[in-house]
Amino acid sequence: MQLVHDGEARAFEIIFDRHASMAFSLAYRMCGRRALAEEVVQEAFLSLWRTAARYDGARGSVRSWVLSIVRNRAIDALRRGWTRDSRDVSGDDIADRVAGTERTDVEVARRDEALRIRGALDELSAEQRRVIELAYFGGFSHTEIAEMLGLPVGTVKGRMRLGLAKLRLVLTEPAEMMA
Amino acid sequence: MSADDHTIGPGDCGADAGAYVLGALDEHEAEAFRRHLLTCLVCRDEVAALQAATDALHLAVPPLPAPRKLKQRVMSSVHEEPRAPIGRARRRRLRFAPARPALALGITLIVAAGVGLGLGLSAGSSGGTRLVHATVTTPSGSAVVRLVSGHGELIVRGLPAPPRGKIYEVWLERAGGMPSPTSALFSVTSAGSGSVDVPGDLHGVEELLVTPEPLGGSSVPTHAPVILARLS
Repeated sequence: MQLVHDGEARAFEIIFDRHASMAFSLAYRMCGRRALAEEVVQEAFLSLWRTAARYDGARGSVRSWVLSIVRNRAIDALRRGWTRDSRDVSGDDIADRVAGTERTDVEVARRDEALRIRGALDELSAEQRRVIELAYFGGFSHTEIAEMLGLPVGTVKGRMRLGLAKLRLVLTEPAEMMA
Repeated sequence: MSADDHTIGPGDCGADAGAYVLGALDEHEAEAFRRHLLTCLVCRDEVAALQAATDALHLAVPPLPAPRKLKQRVMSSVHEEPRAPIGRARRRRLRFAPARPALALGITLIVAAGVGLGLGLSAGSSGGTRLVHATVTTPSGSAVVRLVSGHGELIVRGLPAPPRGKIYEVWLERAGGMPSPTSALFSVTSAGSGSVDVPGDLHGVEELLVTPEPLGGSSVPTHAPVILARLS
């Protein structure tokens, strides 16, 4: 990142190669449209190029930083008026669209990781999963979700909190048991 | 916690933790919870734990290869905009799309508001320091640019927090040009106060503007300005 900070285009290209797939996947998951996802990722990486000085390694990994920018850009794009109805694309649907592309070992590993996290999400109740996905992938606030689902705000917050706590437990349990 | 209740009592301590890490709280609620975290070790621990789960959510998305043309477009833009090392030279001026409607309309409104409310831009000086009072769109807000030897500091009071997921970004506009982004990003305290150094030499800068932008900053203004200061 220091080289990117110093304006090294080659260093930036390496960062792009490392994180573009994950960034595009997240943007596509949130936007549900390929063209918009590309626009979001392009804006996010150019923002990263122009603002690399703001990266603070103490506050998280480069990947987390990149993805937080992508997520914010996607939410902005959605709020600028793109319809939300067609972006609820299931993971399987997205995966099907990868057919025909050559998967590298890294991509296979990431796909396995995605399956593991989705398996953990499946451990949550459907209600918990729904509010978490609407907030994280949809960019909706808890009040919007409460209105959408016809639930009290407190219920939505409670499902978010309990769902995330359970998700963390499911994700960490195997490692702790092996330790 | 209701929208009108910014305090967090002992009964609902931590109730907002999940929504907070998901970025789903309204801005005033998020700010209240951030303040609460300063004094509550239990909630800090819970937020750290829930944040770890939240950070894993993006991994649930099946990986898609990024389109090759996307990389070509990004790298093409990067090569067109070589960035001088920050700290050793001023950032290169970035291109703006012409006629940004939001910005143009915002400037019109902000100037009209300034004239209509009698908040004309004024300046004063003391010694080597010059103060430029800016126009602010919110009635309760005020902003001053403090200029010393061509360098500036923007000081705001009574400014509402930027919208959720946004941060304030400072732009500079020179004669005949479009606003250039700066690396100056800032938010405000719960009382609406804040200050930020304006990077670079301000000689030749006609206007300083502030717009709410995505957290990473923006290369083009996406919102109408909330602050405008005429420096020349």
